[in-house]
Amino acid sequence: MNLSRPDRSERLDALAAEYALGTLDGRTRRRLDRIAQTDPTVAAALRGWEWRLAALTEGMPGITPPVHVWEAIRQRLGFSGESDAAGPGASAPWWASLALWRGLALAGFALAFALGLLLVAPTTERPYEGVVVVLAGTDAKPALVATGERGSRFLTVKAVATVEVPAGRALELWMLPDGRAPVSMGLVPASGIDRLALRAPVGIALQDIPALAVSIEPPGGSPTGAPTGPVVYTGRVERFY
Amino acid sequence: MPSPSTDRSARLAELLARTALADQAAYAELYRLTASHLYAVALRILREPSAAEDVLQEAFVSVWHHAGSYSTAKAKPQTWLTSIVRNRCLDQLRRREPDTVTMTRDEDESEMEFETPGPTPIELLVAGAEANSVRDCVERLDGSHKQAIALAFYQGLSHAELAHHLRQPLGTVKSWVRRGLERLKACLEGAGVTR
Repeated sequence: MNLSRPDRSERLDALAAEYALGTLDGRTRRRLDRIAQTDPTVAAALRGWEWRLAALTEGMPGITPPVHVWEAIRQRLGFSGESDAAGPGASAPWWASLALWRGLALAGFALAFALGLLLVAPTTERPYEGVVVVLAGTDAKPALVATGERGSRFLTVKAVATVEVPAGRALELWMLPDGRAPVSMGLVPASGIDRLALRAPVGIALQDIPALAVSIEPPGGSPTGAPTGPVVYTGRVERFY
Repeated sequence: MPSPSTDRSARLAELLARTALADQAAYAELYRLTASHLYAVALRILREPSAAEDVLQEAFVSVWHHAGSYSTAKAKPQTWLTSIVRNRCLDQLRRREPDTVTMTRDEDESEMEFETPGPTPIELLVAGAEANSVRDCVERLDGSHKQAIALAFYQGLSHAELAHHLRQPLGTVKSWVRRGLERLKACLEGAGVTR
C-alpha cells in the first residue's frame, strides 16, 4: 500500500488521525510506524495529527510525578550529582531536631483551618475518611494543605498562602517516619493546587507517618534521596477515620 | 504584548535548544516545568502510576538525546513533548493487547478502574481546548462524536473498547470517530489552528 500517492491522501489523513487519536489496533499502528520510518509523507501526516491533537491537553491539571522518576532519568543519562546541592551536613539531621517537633505542636491550631476546608469539599454520599495535613512554617501560619481520601492513591496539595521559593529551586514534600530518615513524596507547588501520585492508597502510605515536611531542593527534587535544603514547613498527619 | 503562554513556549523552546547542547541545568528546568503536565497525560491514558512513571522516564531520556529535532517540528514545545509521551503511552497500551480485537475491560473491571482524579474526558476536552480556538471546533462536534473522541483521546480506548464502553456496534463507533475527526480537522483548518 503506497499511502503517499496523491490519490491516497484522504485515506492517509484518516489513518493518521486515528493513529494520533489512538483508536487503531496494535498491528495497524505498528505498520504505520514502520512505513513512516521510510516515507516522509506518511511521517508528516502522523506528526501533524499528533501535534494537532496534543494541543487538546493544554489546560489539563498537572500531577506531580514521584521524585524517583527524575532520579532514574539522571541515573540513566549518567549525570553526576548536582553541584549546587548541599552536601551532607556535619550536624545532626534536621528531622531529629527538637525545634521541628515543637513547631509541629504550635501548628496545631492551624487544624481549625483544615476543618474549614473540609466543609467546602464537595459533599459525597459517604462521610469524609481521609487525612489532612496543614503544613506551616515556624510562624505557624499555614502555607500548604495536603488532603487525601483514605483509599485514594493521590494526595492533593494546595498552596494556601504565598510561598516564597528561591529562583531555580523547588519544594519537596517528605514523610517523616518516627525515628527514621525522611522519605520523599514528590515536588509540591508553590502556588495553586497539585496532586501527588502515591505508591499505595493514602491510608496505607501514611499509616505510620506522624508528620510531613517540606524542604527547598534543586529543580527536580533532592538529588540524594534525602532532604538537602532547609525545611520550611512541617505538619502533623491528622486522620479523619 | 506576549501572552503568558507565548512566554512559556519561548522559554521551553530555549530550554530544548540548550538541552540539545547537553546543558544539564536547562534539561532539569525543562523537566521541572513540564513533568507534571506530561505525567498527568500519561497517567490518564495508562491508569497505572508505575506505567506512567516508566513512560515519563523513557520520554525524557529520549528528549535528552533528540532535543535537537525539535527545531524542525511545527509544534509548540509542550505540544511536541506531549505527543512524544502520548505516542509512547499508546504504543504500550496497544502492546498489552493481542492483535486480535478483544475486550480488555469488562463491566466489572470498569467499576474498579484506576481512579483518575478530576474532570471527565468531555470536560477535559473542553477545558483543554479553552487555551486556543480548538474549543469552538470541539464544541461544534455532535454529542456522540465528541464523546467517542474524548474517550479515545484521554483514556486511550481503541475502537473495540469504545464500542464496548458506549454499547454501540463497532461500525457505528468507527464512523463516529471518523466523522468527528473529519469535522474537527475541517474546523481547525478553517480557524487556522493547524499546528
